Amino acid sequence: MTTPLLSVKNLRVSFRIDRKNTFEALKGVSFDVMPNQTVALVGESGSGKSVTSLAVLGLLPKENSKIDPQSRIDFEGTNLLTLSNSQKRELRGDKISMIFQEPMSSLNPVFTVGYQIKEVLKEHKNLTGDAAQKRAIELLKEVGIPHAEERIDYYPHQMSGGQQQRVMIAMAIACEPKLLIADEPTTALDVTIQKQILDLIAEIQKKHGMSVLFITHDLAVVGDIADRVVVMRNGEIKEQGTTRDVFTNPKDDYTKALLSCRPVVDSRPKRLPVIEDFMAGRADTMRLEQRSRGVKESDPVALEVKGLCKDFYSREGLFGKKTFHAAKDVSFKLRKGKTLGLVGESGSGKTTVGLTVMRLHDATKGEAWFDGKNIFAMSEKEFLPYKKRIQIVFQNPYASLNPRFTVGQILMEPMIIHGIGNGGEDRSKRAFELLAKVGLPEMSFYKYPHEFSGGQRQRIAIARCLTMKPDILICDESVSALDVSVQAQVLNLLQDLQDEFGLSYIFISHDLAVVKYMSDEVMVMSNGDVVEQGDSDELYRAPKHAYTKKLLDSIPTGLHV
Amino acid sequence: MLAYIVRRLWQIVPTMIGVILLIFFLFNVVGGDPAYLLAGKIANPEQIANIRKQLGIDEPYYVQLWIFFKQVVTFNFGASWSTNEAVSSIFATRLPASLMIGIPLIVIETIIAILIALSVAYVRGSLTDRAVMVTCTVAQSISILVYIIVFQYVLAYKFGWFPVQGWGNGIFENLFKYATLPVLIALAVSLAPNIRLYRTFLLDEMNQDYVRTARAKGLTENRVMLVHVLRNSAIPIITNLMIQLPGLLVGLFLIERFFSIPGIGREVILSVERSDFPVIKAITVYVALATMLANLAADLMYKAVDPRVELK
Amino acid sequence: MNTAVMNPSIGIERSPGLWSLAWKRLMADKIAVFSVIVVILFVLLALASFFGIVAKGWNNETAVNYAPPTWFKDSHKPSADLSGKQPTTSGPALDTGLAKPEFVNDRDPLRDTINELKGQLGQSTGSGAVDEIKIVDPLADVIAELKKKLGRKGDEIGSGETVKKLDSLPFGADKWGRDVLDKVIKGTETSLLVGFAAAIIATLIGTVLGAFAGYFGGKIDDALNWFYSIFSSIPYILLVLAIAAVLNKKGVFTVVLILGLTGWSNIFRVVRAEYLKHKGRDYVRAANAIGASNMRRMFVHIFPNISHVVLVQLSIYVVLFIKSEVILSYLGFGVGVDTVSWGSMLNEAQNELILGYWWQLGAATLFMAVLVTAFSLFTDSLRDALDPKLK
Repeated sequence: MTTPLLSVKNLRVSFRIDRKNTFEALKGVSFDVMPNQTVALVGESGSGKSVTSLAVLGLLPKENSKIDPQSRIDFEGTNLLTLSNSQKRELRGDKISMIFQEPMSSLNPVFTVGYQIKEVLKEHKNLTGDAAQKRAIELLKEVGIPHAEERIDYYPHQMSGGQQQRVMIAMAIACEPKLLIADEPTTALDVTIQKQILDLIAEIQKKHGMSVLFITHDLAVVGDIADRVVVMRNGEIKEQGTTRDVFTNPKDDYTKALLSCRPVVDSRPKRLPVIEDFMAGRADTMRLEQRSRGVKESDPVALEVKGLCKDFYSREGLFGKKTFHAAKDVSFKLRKGKTLGLVGESGSGKTTVGLTVMRLHDATKGEAWFDGKNIFAMSEKEFLPYKKRIQIVFQNPYASLNPRFTVGQILMEPMIIHGIGNGGEDRSKRAFELLAKVGLPEMSFYKYPHEFSGGQRQRIAIARCLTMKPDILICDESVSALDVSVQAQVLNLLQDLQDEFGLSYIFISHDLAVVKYMSDEVMVMSNGDVVEQGDSDELYRAPKHAYTKKLLDSIPTGLHV
Repeated sequence: MLAYIVRRLWQIVPTMIGVILLIFFLFNVVGGDPAYLLAGKIANPEQIANIRKQLGIDEPYYVQLWIFFKQVVTFNFGASWSTNEAVSSIFATRLPASLMIGIPLIVIETIIAILIALSVAYVRGSLTDRAVMVTCTVAQSISILVYIIVFQYVLAYKFGWFPVQGWGNGIFENLFKYATLPVLIALAVSLAPNIRLYRTFLLDEMNQDYVRTARAKGLTENRVMLVHVLRNSAIPIITNLMIQLPGLLVGLFLIERFFSIPGIGREVILSVERSDFPVIKAITVYVALATMLANLAADLMYKAVDPRVELK
Repeated sequence: MNTAVMNPSIGIERSPGLWSLAWKRLMADKIAVFSVIVVILFVLLALASFFGIVAKGWNNETAVNYAPPTWFKDSHKPSADLSGKQPTTSGPALDTGLAKPEFVNDRDPLRDTINELKGQLGQSTGSGAVDEIKIVDPLADVIAELKKKLGRKGDEIGSGETVKKLDSLPFGADKWGRDVLDKVIKGTETSLLVGFAAAIIATLIGTVLGAFAGYFGGKIDDALNWFYSIFSSIPYILLVLAIAAVLNKKGVFTVVLILGLTGWSNIFRVVRAEYLKHKGRDYVRAANAIGASNMRRMFVHIFPNISHVVLVQLSIYVVLFIKSEVILSYLGFGVGVDTVSWGSMLNEAQNELILGYWWQLGAATLFMAVLVTAFSLFTDSLRDALDPKLK
């Protein structure tokens, strides 16, 4: 029996919101991290996982946070909570180091990466001059930065997101720490990069024999790298155990829901089981009922896009203009009542296609045939009656609803603009019906968007589209910003609505599993080009293009048994 | 870089034309006929016609505009209407005094404001922070006139620590004898708003992720604040400084006037009082030009402090 | 947040919008409440003065010359002694060399003549004469003073028909025995009137132009930006003085116009940036998607979301314009002789200070400092309440 490297005992943290109210972020959290072990702290937003990591590092904001005096955080036998500020500071970056979610903003933009790495070396190892330079290059090489000798003089913005995160890792391991805390280190990265970073962390952990506290919202990513999993919800630990136990034999309903509500590529249940389903004990039967997807040549076409191009311009030089081709020669057919999935990494042009199709951007070239007419060739006025028939649900539910409107106003506005319904009474009746349809209580009508959670807001956004009875609904990363359990609920809702109203979806996402789950046909985009398109089952089973293969290989698959 | 400077200089042209048009519109169209003002009530029509001819304001507007335009380009605004002193000579002789007050002011003020802002931003939310902020608000609420009147009365007149007014010839005499109290007063006036401003800039940066990273690296608070935060706050601070710079030439007009310091600002007041249009026009046009050049300089300085800035 | 939705017992009542939440935050802030009360008191005072309820007789010479404030009566020599003495303000000022060089008395009907004189003198003195106007100044004041004495025999003590003049007032009296309290109240009216009116004009212009520039971009933005760059490249105070020189006309209305028409560039920049930011936001795109027209998106959707910025800027403007008006009036380019401004009070007070009569200076400073401080604190709290992210 070895002693734990880090032992968190009964950690309670509360935040002061205003003079009267406090919010208890952690309600007695206890777990251990053994030497040379990777522990994953998994939880959705508000679970308190990041607060835990900041408490370990002593980085909670002093002004408004309070740690319960009974709490203990023992690191190598000393209680970190009783250390003085300068003692804690000496530990940070030396024995315990941390990497964060957003590598771009976590690195100081005005200093070279070399400077920022050498800063740690100087602080803790008193290494300066050539020795520090040599060590910094060594570290950059270790984290897989090519041409480290040159890159050491790069500024963060001259590097890609993946490389920035590698620099963060180099900085974190510079002093050979005993414990590395990784707070959602791959969440902001594209799926292919995510895979590389995960592999790198695992490799470094083994090589240096350090312990890793890996914090994430996504259970799927921890299967490969964690020895133990701690599942948190609302400041409490729901379940903890070895990764294998948690994955294969989860005890807690919440853990079960987390494990199964995320779509996977090799199964397509009719509905995704959510926490309520586990509570009600009907989840297991649900999973058996599968949905079949795919299109037949005889299916009617709702929208046909031919040769869509979209260029953006930026100013350069004295009179120069730089053209950026966001979408190049994109053509597809969207069948009635079916879903076309549009998948790609950031900058692939998938969102541009979505916005251009509904004329939120003007197409540079191309045609879009809808209802026998080319909607790209119409004037703004001619297009207005068609506008309501193609609608969109955006990614960020916090940004897409006007915060100054009540939900009732939000829902009735499109009806007023398009003259749907007879007068206010009829319109509000319709609004109430739609609220019920998307699963929101009636009284939501009188509330403002800020009173709703992300998932609920996305329901409001969907209801707003439904007021116009659209034929086509574009879902632009509509579930990407949501927690997985909420994501499942919204996906279920979208499926239900498709079944009921025969809506055609253009489903845009970076998440391959979600796209697979929702789509009949899939189009893969990269740098503005469509690299592959076809039947979704077919494409996922036998990808033809190398890029598609790479993407599919990068999908985190949970536990490899 | 060079292409950028050329492009920016090129962009100044339309703005300058705009400024010229605006000034022309104000003084030659709205301003009416200054001949009456100049000739006084006793003048007869011939005298007025004569003055109009001398001033060139009997010409049609487009000719007057062309003359004005030529004046701007050739730096030749003729002579002051009231003193006959050449406008160019007014510039040359008044500028040193303004700079003698302005430069020490801006240097001392920036250093003090940044230091105080750093200290209060670091203890944000504390009693000290609040006290300093409230003091700044109150200090800002008192008119500059009161500062001048009271300081001049108490420190110079009553206590005799400083000369009540005047200006000498030697640089050191002016700097250490006559400029001291004016600079002190200007400091009292301008410190408060700048401390508040710089504090916000610093707080903005202190909330950034890289500050958390710096702390996670185990850096000392001094290093976090003085190296990481301050360096990033330099951009808005430089912008603010450069914006203030041209305004400094005329912004100190009240102080220059009270202390009889022969600077540009005092010249503005004098010429406004005397309806001395050529002098106001010249000062306005060139201060506007100075402002645009200062903005360009600020943009060039960004490059030095922020590697992300690309001058394209 | 969720609990409210989940809990049906709350019932259907209009839930708080962002404005009412902001109001709650504002009212939870003690400093904010206090400063709001102070500002409201000042506004009431100004309104009362506007409708002639108070300070109507500010121009009446109710007390003896330089009557001291009641509380400081004993520390000053009886003003009867002073009444005989000619209060030549500029004399001592020149003796000590203290300040006040180029001052023309507002109340002086001979001003035009003096101006002419001045002009001729100026021209004849020739180039390089920086201080020539000083020569004229004492004369102006002496003339004014002489005229006063001649016109107002009733000032002499014991004069039969006139009401006996008070020998002290709560805030003292000025050179002509006018009540400083009345004057400072009248000055409050002027300040608030100018501050608010000019702020509203500047805000209106800046907001509308900024909205169009930011929202439409392209050619409209280029044109408006050009216009903005012209105004922003001339230092504000220089532009104000230049226009004052051109108009050469005094009065509250002129001051409002000058300040309002020159001050819009700040808010233009702010509003333009906000519209640029917001027009790319998803809620505006969503409004576009549901077919809302440009005007609807601009003013129904975006405007309420940036109105807090406008409100804060408006309140910054009020402070700025109050301060500017004081300076303009001090210099004699501001309000005319028919009303009082703190600026013109400061102008008079400057001479009085040398003679030891500090109360007019004190009153104007106190009132202005209290109002502007309260307004600035209110602005800060307003900003915090409307945008809780900033702290």
